[in-house]
Amino acid sequence: MKRRHFLGASLLTAVLATTTSIALAENPVLKIGFVGVTSGPAAAWGISNQRSMETRAEWINETGGYTIGDTTYDIEIVSFDDQKDPKRAIAGMEKMAQEGIHYVVGPNVDDGAAAVRPVAEAKGIMYFPYAFPKELYTAPASNAVLGMVANYQSGPAIYKHLKEKEGVNTVAFIAANESDPLSQRDGGLAAAEALGLEVVSDNVTYQVDTTDFTPVLTPVIRTQPDLLVLSGVSPANAPQLIRSARELGFQGLISTETAQDATVLREGAGELANGFISVGGASTPEIASDAMKEFVERYTKMFGEYNDESNTKVYALEYILETLKANPSAIDNVKEFQSTMDTFEASNPYMKGDAKLRYVGTSSFGQKRQVAVPLVVNVYQDGEFKTLFVAEVD
Amino acid sequence: MEQILANGIYLGAQYAMIALGLTLIFALMNVLNFAHGQMYVLGGFVTYTFYGQLGWPFVVALLASCVTLAVLGALIEKFLFAPVIRRSSREESTMLLAAGLAFFFDAIILLVFGEKQRGVPKIVNGVLNWDFRIIMPYDRILICFLAILSIVGFIVFMQYSKTGRALRALAQDRTAAQLMGVNVERYSMIGFAIGAMLAGLVGGLLVTITGVNLGMGGPTSIKAFMMVMIGGAGVISGAIAGGIILGFMEAIGLAVLSQYGDITYLLIFVSLMIFLAIRPQGLMGKPWG
Amino acid sequence: MPRLSMIQWTGLLVFLIAVFVLVPAYIAASGRTDFYYTLTSVALLSIASAGVWLTFYIGRINIGQGAFALIGAYVSAILVTKAGISFWLSLPLAGLFAALVSVLIGVPILRLRGVYFAMITLVLTQVVTLTALALPVTNGAKGITSIPLPGEISVFGLTVIPDFAGLENPRLAFYYTSCALMVLTFAAMYRLVNSRLGHLCRSMQQNEELASSIGVNIAYIRVIVFAISSFLGGIGGAMFGSIAQSVYPSSFQVTDSVNFMLNCFLGGLGYVFGPMLGTLVLYFGWDLLFELGRYQLLVYSGLLIILMLFLPNGLLSLRIRGKGVAGR
Repeated sequence: MKRRHFLGASLLTAVLATTTSIALAENPVLKIGFVGVTSGPAAAWGISNQRSMETRAEWINETGGYTIGDTTYDIEIVSFDDQKDPKRAIAGMEKMAQEGIHYVVGPNVDDGAAAVRPVAEAKGIMYFPYAFPKELYTAPASNAVLGMVANYQSGPAIYKHLKEKEGVNTVAFIAANESDPLSQRDGGLAAAEALGLEVVSDNVTYQVDTTDFTPVLTPVIRTQPDLLVLSGVSPANAPQLIRSARELGFQGLISTETAQDATVLREGAGELANGFISVGGASTPEIASDAMKEFVERYTKMFGEYNDESNTKVYALEYILETLKANPSAIDNVKEFQSTMDTFEASNPYMKGDAKLRYVGTSSFGQKRQVAVPLVVNVYQDGEFKTLFVAEVD
Repeated sequence: MEQILANGIYLGAQYAMIALGLTLIFALMNVLNFAHGQMYVLGGFVTYTFYGQLGWPFVVALLASCVTLAVLGALIEKFLFAPVIRRSSREESTMLLAAGLAFFFDAIILLVFGEKQRGVPKIVNGVLNWDFRIIMPYDRILICFLAILSIVGFIVFMQYSKTGRALRALAQDRTAAQLMGVNVERYSMIGFAIGAMLAGLVGGLLVTITGVNLGMGGPTSIKAFMMVMIGGAGVISGAIAGGIILGFMEAIGLAVLSQYGDITYLLIFVSLMIFLAIRPQGLMGKPWG
Repeated sequence: MPRLSMIQWTGLLVFLIAVFVLVPAYIAASGRTDFYYTLTSVALLSIASAGVWLTFYIGRINIGQGAFALIGAYVSAILVTKAGISFWLSLPLAGLFAALVSVLIGVPILRLRGVYFAMITLVLTQVVTLTALALPVTNGAKGITSIPLPGEISVFGLTVIPDFAGLENPRLAFYYTSCALMVLTFAAMYRLVNSRLGHLCRSMQQNEELASSIGVNIAYIRVIVFAISSFLGGIGGAMFGSIAQSVYPSSFQVTDSVNFMLNCFLGGLGYVFGPMLGTLVLYFGWDLLFELGRYQLLVYSGLLIILMLFLPNGLLSLRIRGKGVAGR
């Protein structure tokens, strides 16, 4: 009796498993992978990523598919939840190789991106991590393409702007006691010092699970910086940090180099978040093209609610597909993909004007291993982001 | 100095409340509830839904959190923990069940409430600024006050009500309590429900200040474990003491050691280990074994 | 020396053939090469879980194995990258260093029991992670990356173990290595459980005071067992570092420590081979449910709860009583 119950449950899962994999017909299917974190504390990073890919794939399939060379494909997104565990991330990448996938978006964090490198290079997979360590993209590493603007690129631009326009002279850094934020803090620190800013506090850290930031922030605020940088702050911590800093009477500017979500800021910090500077994508009304607006609309319809972090995450899939279109033989040959990267150029559908999709990174990595995403710096105001300035990364 | 004191009291009160529910469940059934943090998060989301989304009064939302979690706790005890404890040869086996529940709640929370950090409108505006010696927003003071009130209420309940007395008897000696005519099964269920309710209550209270997201569960459980260890497992007063001590350790550590940022928590953890090595049963606990 | 019955010898032989011949043959035939890594992981995680099982055997709930795995991973990575030592030499050194640390920590904390020991080991995992973030030798937050693959070992010019980097399929090499280590581990565990030490452990598990009163040096045995346990953790961690070719402070976290413990519970605390089966089911289970997408965690945890409800003494409790390998 009990045994049957258990069998029933496993049978049910087996049936579920098979029905989900049967879908789509007509066009041949081009699978693109995603390996990232979609459960647990950092789920927001991976989920916004996965959902923007699924939205775009659904959109393409609905409008008849994506033509590469002579073939029109339906796009299927194959996702793997690595639970933010580098060991799982390797398993995920192996799974992608097993599915015959050559192009993967993710992982979301430094340790995962470093751990999957051996598999990706052995199995011929190009992957687009959202992690900043330079050795991932510098030769002899060959298969990773940075999927966004790195903080050591956006940091200098933001600090420079604030120094010149807002008269910022002193800066303080605060970071979570984890690999990614600490590395980003060190990068930001170097950038600030190179600009001649005075760093008044740089060694205060907090645990990601902190529920009260007042004691953490008190010593930082006491140094009275003009600018407080929340290095690598997660969207969950950002509103609490802002709120605590303002409640402690901090009057200066607050900025970060990661993407944030306006709703989260509004709910968590309300008007205290006004003036908060973060890096965004392309959805602010000043620069969003009609395609971007449609993307947001479709995303919202599919998942109920848009996440502004997705703005920076629409690009990786677009880059993969456009590059394949430019060189159809790259579809199962990453060497072809890599050689196309040097010359590839296409128009950026998500931004107004004549912005281009192309690969950059020569000055940071010595080879073109980064997508050229416009560096859009946003400022939060009353529940939405406004564009502060737009810059390019080379 | 005054600021450290104020921060310590605030942190201590909220920590103590989280630890209370955990230690109650542990005292009654020897279950180390890995899902306690998830229950806290669930409580936060219930209050978020009723107060933040539907616009009901905060107190009603808070009550909804308490009731939801109490019912959930009772059901979990009756249909999951009680049968497993009955059948398993080693009572630690419930750890796997508790961990499975923690994963299960994580999955449910993700599917129902989404991946984003959520927050609710402030219940009181304004900041108390006493000559820059103590800076404390009013809502924190209110929440701190409510937390202390709940703790006092809980102690009074345990001390003077019939249910409370039965629960204490059960915690002290299960067999003896049974012999004295206490309905062990029924009071185990009530105790678990109260423990879960406390988690829901503190979740609901804190959502107004820290907000809530699905990732807070696991780390909260671990912090609660630490407090329970400091005070002594299964002892109510110990959990309160543990919570307050950890709160003050954080407040003082962060103020004094801020220039060595990276090592504040390392020192807290290491001193905790040394403390426990010297005094294995915590401050007020009875040796276990 | 325990004597194996005919049936047990056959069982062992079948197991060895399955692991070293049938599985690779199946993978080659079906083309599921991703199983190599999955099964390698299972082998390595079950080695570390075996250590946790051993501490259960002296009546201690160990939620600190992640700490020793991380120590092992870092020791091996540092020795290979900074001192230029061969990986194969760094592997036992990683285990020994983890064991040494565990002796230093174990002497005071092994006096604790029950949840107190469990919690202190849980805190230990965080201590090691935070230490790795703070120390210069571990390269702090940036981790150690680009660790070379294991090199060649030759005796008198004869290649015993080939250079992994020169192999066409290093995954297969890692699979064989990990499985060999796993077989060695569990053979040693089986031997240990059926030795005098094993009997002493069992008497301690039941009643330490009683064991002590009949002249067992319980303090000494506790430390020895904890050291063996941590040695296994260190080995498992070092192997993972070598496969990922990178080590970060977050390579092993509290979650891993908890998982090691859960593997033991799921397999069954009364059975030597419990941790192996538990790891296989828990780790492979997650991978198999991959198709479910967003419902993966829901179904996984649901099945876990159902399993626990019907088999609270672990999967191996399904077996007929008396044939169980370890003494109960």
